[in-house]
Amino acid sequence: MTLHFLHRHVLEDHLAGFETRPNPNHVTVYRRPLILSVLAHAGQEAAVFAHLAGMPGMDVRVCGPGEWMIVSAAGSRRAEEVAEELGALGGASVIDQSDGKVLLSIGGPSVRKILAKCLAVDLHPDVFAEGQSANMLCCHVAANLARTGLEMFEITVPRSLAGSVFEELMEMGREFALTASFSGG
Amino acid sequence: MTSYRLDAGGAVNRAQALEFSFDGRSYKGLQGDTLASALLANDQVLMGRSFKYHRPRGPVTAGSAEPNALMTIGSGARAEPNARATTVELYQGLVAASQNRWPSLNHDFGAVNSLLSPFLGAGFYYKTFMWPAAFWEKVYEPLIRRAAGLGKLVLQADPDRYEKSWAHCDLLVVGAGPAGLMAALVAGRAGMRVILADEGFQAGGSLLCESASVGGQPAAAFAGTVLDELAGLPNVTLMARTTVFGWYDDMVFGSVERVQKHLASPSPDLPVERLWRIVAKRAILASGAEERPLVFGGNDRPGVMTATAARTYLNRYGVAVGGKVAVFTNGGAGYRTAADLAVRGVEVTAIIDARGQSSDVGPAGVRVIRNAGVISTRGKRRIDGLVLERSGFEEAIDCDALAMSGGWSPIVHLMCQRGAKPVWSDEAQAFLAPDVGSGFVAAGSSAGLTSLSACLRDGADKAATIAAELGFSAVPAVPVEVEGEYDASFAPVWYVPGAKDKAFVDFQNDVAVQELGIAQREGFRHIEHTKRYTTAGMATDQGKLGGVNTAGIVAAMRGVTPAEIGTTTFRPFYTPVSFGALAGAAQGSHAAPVRTSPLHGWAKKNGASFVESGLWYRSAWFGRDGEKGWRDSVDREVRTVRAHAGLCDVSTLGKIEIFGTGAAEFLNRIYCNAFLRLPIGKARYGLMLREDGIVFDDGTTSRLGDNHYVMTTTTAYAAEVMTHLEFCAQTFWPELDVRFVSVSDQWAQMSLAGPKARIIMSRVVQDDLSDAAFPFLSARSVTLRGWLKARLFRISFSGELAYELAVPAGLGEAVADAIMDAGREEGICAYGVEALNVLRIEKGFVTHSELDGRTTADDVGLGRMMAMQKPDFIGKRLSTRFGLTAADRLQLVGLKPVEPDKQIQAGAHLLKEHAQPSLANDQGFVSSACFSPTLDSFVALAMLKSGRERMGERINVWDALRRVEVPVDVCSPVFVDPDNIKLHA
Repeated sequence: MTLHFLHRHVLEDHLAGFETRPNPNHVTVYRRPLILSVLAHAGQEAAVFAHLAGMPGMDVRVCGPGEWMIVSAAGSRRAEEVAEELGALGGASVIDQSDGKVLLSIGGPSVRKILAKCLAVDLHPDVFAEGQSANMLCCHVAANLARTGLEMFEITVPRSLAGSVFEELMEMGREFALTASFSGG
Repeated sequence: MTSYRLDAGGAVNRAQALEFSFDGRSYKGLQGDTLASALLANDQVLMGRSFKYHRPRGPVTAGSAEPNALMTIGSGARAEPNARATTVELYQGLVAASQNRWPSLNHDFGAVNSLLSPFLGAGFYYKTFMWPAAFWEKVYEPLIRRAAGLGKLVLQADPDRYEKSWAHCDLLVVGAGPAGLMAALVAGRAGMRVILADEGFQAGGSLLCESASVGGQPAAAFAGTVLDELAGLPNVTLMARTTVFGWYDDMVFGSVERVQKHLASPSPDLPVERLWRIVAKRAILASGAEERPLVFGGNDRPGVMTATAARTYLNRYGVAVGGKVAVFTNGGAGYRTAADLAVRGVEVTAIIDARGQSSDVGPAGVRVIRNAGVISTRGKRRIDGLVLERSGFEEAIDCDALAMSGGWSPIVHLMCQRGAKPVWSDEAQAFLAPDVGSGFVAAGSSAGLTSLSACLRDGADKAATIAAELGFSAVPAVPVEVEGEYDASFAPVWYVPGAKDKAFVDFQNDVAVQELGIAQREGFRHIEHTKRYTTAGMATDQGKLGGVNTAGIVAAMRGVTPAEIGTTTFRPFYTPVSFGALAGAAQGSHAAPVRTSPLHGWAKKNGASFVESGLWYRSAWFGRDGEKGWRDSVDREVRTVRAHAGLCDVSTLGKIEIFGTGAAEFLNRIYCNAFLRLPIGKARYGLMLREDGIVFDDGTTSRLGDNHYVMTTTTAYAAEVMTHLEFCAQTFWPELDVRFVSVSDQWAQMSLAGPKARIIMSRVVQDDLSDAAFPFLSARSVTLRGWLKARLFRISFSGELAYELAVPAGLGEAVADAIMDAGREEGICAYGVEALNVLRIEKGFVTHSELDGRTTADDVGLGRMMAMQKPDFIGKRLSTRFGLTAADRLQLVGLKPVEPDKQIQAGAHLLKEHAQPSLANDQGFVSSACFSPTLDSFVALAMLKSGRERMGERINVWDALRRVEVPVDVCSPVFVDPDNIKLHA
């Protein structure tokens, strides 16, 4: 007997029933991204980071000293395979967090004004440049924020709190007609 | 009704008339008016009744320091009390109502207090309502409370939205008057990120009511030119209608933006108010100066106002405050107002100058009376005359408005909110801003400057200095020519002697000069004591208008300088801020983040009722048709687990992944029990102590590989344990190779418990789960049918044969559904944390009810877990100290009521049989209690003095809260399966 298990995104209930054409300010929720925590062991930080930075299709998010998340929004690779590749490196411990984190991207001309209501960090491009990322509180929740473009950011939040963050994000974007949808339809 | 609106002039839009109502009567104003200017234009000077004596009052100012013209704006749920009419922006359909009067503003019954005023001085309440003592709470206080207070709160829910937002800048400029505009311009041109905030709905500050010309154009036009340039600079943010109310640590400024307060029907997509936290590298205070009222007899008559207010109504709003205006001044500002009035054709009856000599000259044809003082005024709803005294002679003068000028006080509140006190200057006869370092500097008249050209220059200079310090190359500002300046110097007059009527120093709180005297005589001499005793400077006023006069008068009474008296403490908020703005969006469902388990949906569809546990929503029980209350459901769930099987969501437990060659040693030091030789594939219950030897947290840790563990913590302490681990690794043992990461959210974890657990689990997991292949405390990666990798732990919190299965969170609901399907014929049920609690109490397992921050491992019967042979572990040293090892400590026991249906509740105290309840007789307390369906009796876990020696003893559970006493027998805390036969099945 084989059992089939249906994967369910935590924001399914928050987004179901809406068919919105994206407005200029828009939130994209990635259905099955690949997210892994990578922890460098003492003395290996530089080598591990160098390897991560060179991995095709994976974005590196800074979480703390010697700690990163590697993210593939499209989720094109399997977690085990990536973990194996990094495990072979030595000096890094890797654990799959794809189900533990929810990955959103938010972009548009008013994105900084919206995010100013959600987090306390200065997002001026001279201060928080494209490619930069950091852990910070977003809507009262520990999140990771990355700048992926001048007016485009990626937010990673714990799954259990994603509904709450999502609702607050949408509320804060209300004056700018913020819309939201899952990636790819 | 006479119109006091002049035919031309002012920054009002004469093409746009606005209708509004005040106390039910409709009026017309103009776009650009404040409520006060519109009412004045309509000859409505009477705008409120005073706080204590209910005296008729009109506006004294044209700005945010207004003490009198406090009104309720709006109606229904949107009604807002105590709005200052002098700052309320007029809009079409505005509804305003006066306050603190009954039955009407014109005829106020409360004015009888004014007749009683000889008895109502400072300290009256404290001295009078002392006896009989019993009357205070029941009679006096309710009566006084009903009479006190301005305005009435609306008790309906606020229909509007609020928000909070952060902003960051190189330079924050507080105030968009002459100094602020120039500062922002220089900084903006230098390329700095500038925020220019102003509380008014129109930026420009005093330039809007200035008759001088600046840079070859009218002052208001000059402000417009600068604002246009600033608006075009992408690095400058203009924030109108934004009051910077507080200065906080790390250069954070609190501000409130009135986004939609000026609209009759606010858009639901926008907040009505937005609270800003502005993080500034540097800040310039350009908040201007406040003109001081003069303190003379009858100075609170409607129509008596500051000279600046009269000038503002004239020049900015095109409103004459009267047809025959008298001026009472101690400096040039009064002459300036007289000149402006005369130019606009308003009759000035006299200029009364308190000084004997001055170089100021009145407008042509206006009588100047020097060395004189006003001693009383007359008139009811508006002043109609005054009496002055000069060299012992009194003279009556007719007037319908009186402009007074008592000198200038820089507005330095913000700079004094973090401990620094304003500094008295004999030269300026004012309290000036203290030196609070280069981060925050005052400019313009808030820095004590008096001429317009000096203010413009100072704003530019201060900004240029800051730009240079921050590494920006400032373009030198082009000097701005000012034509038509006047000499604003003054000679201080704190109190005009010979008053024939009350002379008020604090209008809002009805404090007259005599009351300051009472406070001095009765020993409340410190200015803070004087404030509390007389109420001068209390409430929303906070000394904005009368604070400096209070200091000056008290100084004069005591024969010292104001420097010795000082001011009362300035604290946020500069002006009142609504609770709505402070709460922001954190109301209703957004009050706190909601944390849901991956099995939330599964629980919901199985009929769960949820309980809030921290931020988590945990399934508490699963009601079914026919069950009358939660106890029915919980009893059924417990019986089902004991007889068949149940599935419970345990995803909320903290889960921490631990890696490294030092992980085993690390765990061995973190836990009080041995962990060094935990085999791969095994779980172990671990107990963590604090440094002081008290239990910190518990949970299981499983070894998944040579250098790989997964730890579980309690739900409540997940974050604390993570912090503790990081702290220990980073500061105690940095030499150990160990890293952690929280995976609490990655896994949906469910506990399948009961005698049928293995049969059911085997239908979902394809690995061999026989007791031989997967014995108690096994912890391994398994494969679910369908090739899904999962983690399976054979651990139990119920005493039953049990497994905890962890699957990736997104698949949790599907896997739980599959287990429920697989267990249907075995009679499986879903059970919640209530049943979980009953199951663990029956089995004598402890939680934070027992591990409450006071208990040692030995107290809760886990003393044998302490591996004292280990070289060290956290809590080892201090756990041996005297007191933690005493024989009479409270120890964990079980309690069974003599009559099984007698309920025991947690929190009740324990007494020896026949002992009287007293602290000395206290024997301990009930920590956890429930009805045990398995034993068909109420049972409890309790902490009892020397409890383990007292098995079988009969004691009393004494519950004073519920007024019950239950005789119970002390027994072992393990009520069910003491030999662990079911556990190892």
